[in-house]
Amino acid sequence: MSEEAGVRAPSATRRSLSVVAAALVVALSAAGCGDSKPQTAGGTYTTVDAGHAIDASAPINPYNGKGNAFSGYNSVTLAFAKNSLNDHNAHFPGVAKSWDVSSDGSKVTIHVQPNAKWSDGSDLTAEDIRTSAAVAYTQGGSVFQLTPGAAGALGEVKVVDNKTVEFTQATGNRNNTFLRSLLAMWVLPKSVYDSQLPANFWDLVKQGSSADPAQADAAKKARDDIAAAGKKIVAFGPPKDVSAGPFVLDSVSASEAILSKNKFFYDANKIGPDKVRLRNYTGNEQIWNYLTSGELDSAPYTSTPTNVVEQILKVSNSGKITGLSQVSAALAFNQKYPPFDKLEVRQALAYVIDRSQVQKIGEPDSGKVAEHTSGLIEDAAKLWIGDEVGKLNPYSVDKAKAESLLTTAGLAKVGGKWTLPGGAPFTFKIQVPAGFSDWVAGAKNIASQLTDFGIAVEATTSADFAVYQTEMAAGKYAAGFWLIALGPSTYNAYARLYGGANGWAAFGGQLTHNPAGTKGNWIGGAETATIDGLGTVNPGELTYQLSQLPVDQAKDTIVKLAKYTNAQLPMIQMWNYVNVQFVNTTRYENFPPNDCECLRLTHGVWMQLGYIQPKKKQ
Amino acid sequence: MIWVVTTFTFFLVRLMPGNPVEVQYERLIQMGMSPDAAEAQTAVTYGFLPHGSIWSQYVDYLWALLHLDLGVSVEAQGVPVADRVFAAAPWTVVLVLSGILISFLIGVVLGVFAALKRSSATGNALSIAGSLLHGVPPFVLGILLFALFTRRWPIFPSGGQYDAAEVAPGLYFDFLGDVAYHAILPASAYALASYGGWLLAMRSSVASVLGDDFLLAAELRGLTKLTRFRYLARNAILPLFTVLAISFGLMFGGSIFIERIFNYPGLGMLLFASIGSRDYSMMSGAFLLITMAVIAANILADLLYSAIDPRVRRA
Repeated sequence: MSEEAGVRAPSATRRSLSVVAAALVVALSAAGCGDSKPQTAGGTYTTVDAGHAIDASAPINPYNGKGNAFSGYNSVTLAFAKNSLNDHNAHFPGVAKSWDVSSDGSKVTIHVQPNAKWSDGSDLTAEDIRTSAAVAYTQGGSVFQLTPGAAGALGEVKVVDNKTVEFTQATGNRNNTFLRSLLAMWVLPKSVYDSQLPANFWDLVKQGSSADPAQADAAKKARDDIAAAGKKIVAFGPPKDVSAGPFVLDSVSASEAILSKNKFFYDANKIGPDKVRLRNYTGNEQIWNYLTSGELDSAPYTSTPTNVVEQILKVSNSGKITGLSQVSAALAFNQKYPPFDKLEVRQALAYVIDRSQVQKIGEPDSGKVAEHTSGLIEDAAKLWIGDEVGKLNPYSVDKAKAESLLTTAGLAKVGGKWTLPGGAPFTFKIQVPAGFSDWVAGAKNIASQLTDFGIAVEATTSADFAVYQTEMAAGKYAAGFWLIALGPSTYNAYARLYGGANGWAAFGGQLTHNPAGTKGNWIGGAETATIDGLGTVNPGELTYQLSQLPVDQAKDTIVKLAKYTNAQLPMIQMWNYVNVQFVNTTRYENFPPNDCECLRLTHGVWMQLGYIQPKKKQ
Repeated sequence: MIWVVTTFTFFLVRLMPGNPVEVQYERLIQMGMSPDAAEAQTAVTYGFLPHGSIWSQYVDYLWALLHLDLGVSVEAQGVPVADRVFAAAPWTVVLVLSGILISFLIGVVLGVFAALKRSSATGNALSIAGSLLHGVPPFVLGILLFALFTRRWPIFPSGGQYDAAEVAPGLYFDFLGDVAYHAILPASAYALASYGGWLLAMRSSVASVLGDDFLLAAELRGLTKLTRFRYLARNAILPLFTVLAISFGLMFGGSIFIERIFNYPGLGMLLFASIGSRDYSMMSGAFLLITMAVIAANILADLLYSAIDPRVRRA
C-alpha cells in the first residue's frame, strides 16, 4: 500500500492473522473435497424421485404430498402396474405375490409374499394389509370411497389367514378398475399406523357406507370422523422408517435423501446398490444440471429440450431407454368461442396443421406424431380396435380441403386472410403454460402454420401451470394444449375428453351433463352428435360404460368413441409421448431394455425386478 | 410495518390465480396416476385449505400469528409452516452472510486501495471493474459460475448444501468443510455481484475523508501512520456499516434466484416451490420471515450506527 497521505500498511500481526483466516477457509473447503468414504460393494445409486421434490421436514408417510416415503424404495404398494397397451390390470408382483380375481371381478384375494418382513424384522402379515386398507379409507377416493352408491367402492376386507386377505366390492355399481385401484394401495405397518385409527374404525366404515336413509345422519357423522382421522394421518410422521421396500430411509436433508438397503426385504438378493441417494430439485432444470454433470445414475425425461438432451448424451457412458407412454398432447378447443363451435372449422384446422412438423419442433426426442385423433395413443388404438383404426380419417395435410370446409362454415378469404361470417378477421390465440417448453414450441409452430394459411394465430403463455389450469377451466382460452389418451385404462383415456372438462359427471350410478361454461365444462362440446354409421352418439355415456364393462367386452364401445372423436374433433391429437429414461453406466449396469413394461415405474421397482447391478470391475 | 406487510402478502397470495388442489391434481395426472387416485390424493389436500370468507381467514391468520403460529403447509399436508421455514432459513443465512461479508471485505480493501491510487491506472481499473460487476445481476454471475465450475471444469458440486452420503450434520471439521465446499459457488455469486458496490462506496468515502482537516492535524501533531490510518478507516467506513446491515435484509429477498441456480435448499427455493404449488400458508410464512429479516436489519443498522458513531450518540 502506498505511503500517500501518511498511510502505512497494516502490521505484520494483522497480515498474519489475515493469512491464517484465509487458510482456514481454504482448509475447510478442502476438507469438503477430500477423499470420499470408501465405497461398499453395492455402492450408492444416485437418482431423483420424479414424484415430488424432497422436503426434510415432511413425515415418512406415503400419503403426505411431500412425504419422505419414496415409491419403490422405502414405500411400496401391493403390486406395480405394468406399462401395458391394453390391460390395465397387468401388474408386477409387489408385496402381493399373487392374486385371484373372481369371474365377475368383484372379489380379489391377495396372497402376501411368504417371506415379506418389515425393516425392523417383524413379519408382514395380512393384518398389516387390513390396516393399510383402513388408512386408505381415511384418505378416500377410488375404491376406498365411503359415499353410498359410489361406483366400484370396496365393501369388505377379510383376513383369511396370516398371508391372505380378501377384498370384496360393495354391491351395486361395479367398476372394472377395482383390481388396479386395489393393487395401488400403499402397504403400511400395523404396528405404526394402528394407533392413528379410531378404535371402532371398521364400525365407522360400515356405518359410513350405509345407504339406509334412516341412518343418514349417523352415516354422515361416521364419514366425517373418518375424514378427520384422514387429516390427522396424512400429517402423521413415524419417528423412524419401518419399510417393507428394498430400502430404509437413513437420513434426509433439504438437498437429498439417503436410503440404505433393507436386509429384511423379501427379495434382498436382487437388490444391487447398498444405498440410494435421491437428489432434490425445484424444477426440471436442476435435474438437467445433474445429468449434464454426470452426477446421476439414472433419471426420467422431464420435458428436456433437444440441446440439453444432446449435452446429456455427450456425458461419458450416458444413454437413454425408450418405451411406451400412454399420454398424448392435443390442441384443445373451447367450443363456446366461435367459430370453434362449427365442426367444419375444427376439421379444416386439422387439414391445415402438419402434425409431423409440430412434433418435430415440439417434442423431437420424446414424441411420435399422432397418426390419428382417436382419443388413444396409436398403438393402443390398433390393439383395441384393429382394422378400424385404418378407417379413421388421418387428416393428412390438404389445404384445398381445408379451404372448402371453411367456406362451407361461412368463412371467407379476403386478401389472403380468412374472415368470420360477420366479416371480422378469423384470429385466435393458443394458450400454453410457460415452462412447458414442448407445448410452447409446438404452439408456436402451429401458430406459424396457420398464419401462413391465412388465419392469424398467436401463441401466448400463462405465468405458470396453475394460472393456465385455472383460466382454462374458467373457459378463458379459445384454444390451448391438453393431455389426453391417459391409458392403459380406456375409461381414464376417454374421461379426459368426455368427463368433467366436457360437462359429464358420474356419481352414484347416475350420469349427468352440465352445460358449457358451468361446473368445469370448458370444452363445451355437444352432448350428442350424429356420426356416419353409428347414428346418434352420446360420448359421455359411452365413456361411463367403459368404467363398467369387463375389458374383453369393451371393444365395440371403444370403436364408437374412437370414431366419434375422430369425426367430431373436440381436440386434435398432435403427438404421443415416448417414455424416455436417461441412464449412465459408469457405476451400474443391467438397466431395463427398451420397451420394458417397467419403464414407467420408479427405479426402485426396477431394482426389485432384478435390474441395476453394480458394474463389474474390469 | 410488519402488520402492513403481513396484510399485503396475505391478500396478494390469495389473489393469485390457481389453486393448490387443481395444481396437484394435474401434476399427478401428468405423472401417470389414474384420475381416481389423483382425486383421492388431492381430496386430502383440500382438507388443508383454509375455508370460509377471505376476511374470516384473515382474522384467523392474524390471531394465529399473535400466537406465533404460521399455520400448516398445504403442499406438505399438515407440516407446520414454521418447521419448513426455520429448517430452510439457516441455509439462506449461511449463504447471504458469507456472500455479503466476503464482498464487504474485498470491496472495502480494494476500495481503500482504489482511493489511494485513484489517479493511477490501477485505481481506475479497479473502479471500472467494480462498476461493471456491480451492474451485473447476481443470478447472471451465478449462471456463469455454474456453467464454468460445475460443467466446463467440474470442480464444485452442482447443488445441495452438503453430501449426506459422506457426512452427517454436526459441528465437526468434515461437515463444516463440506458445507463450505458446497457454498463456495453460490456465495461467490453474491460476493462478485456486490463487491463492486462496496468498492465504489469505500473509494468515494476514503477519497472524501482524505481531504479532511483532522487528518492533516493528526499528521502535524506527529501521530503515527498507523494511528492516522485508523482515523481514516473508521471515518471512511462509517456510512458503509449501515448499508451493510440493510443489505443483509435485502439479500434475503434476492436469494430465490441464486438458490434456484445452485439448487441450494434455502428460503428462496422453498418460496419458489410454494409459489408454483400455490401453498398459501407457506408463501405467507416465507414472505413474513423475509420481511422481518429486512426490518430487523434496518433496526440493527440504526443501533449499529449510534453505537459506532459518537456524534450520533451525543445527539
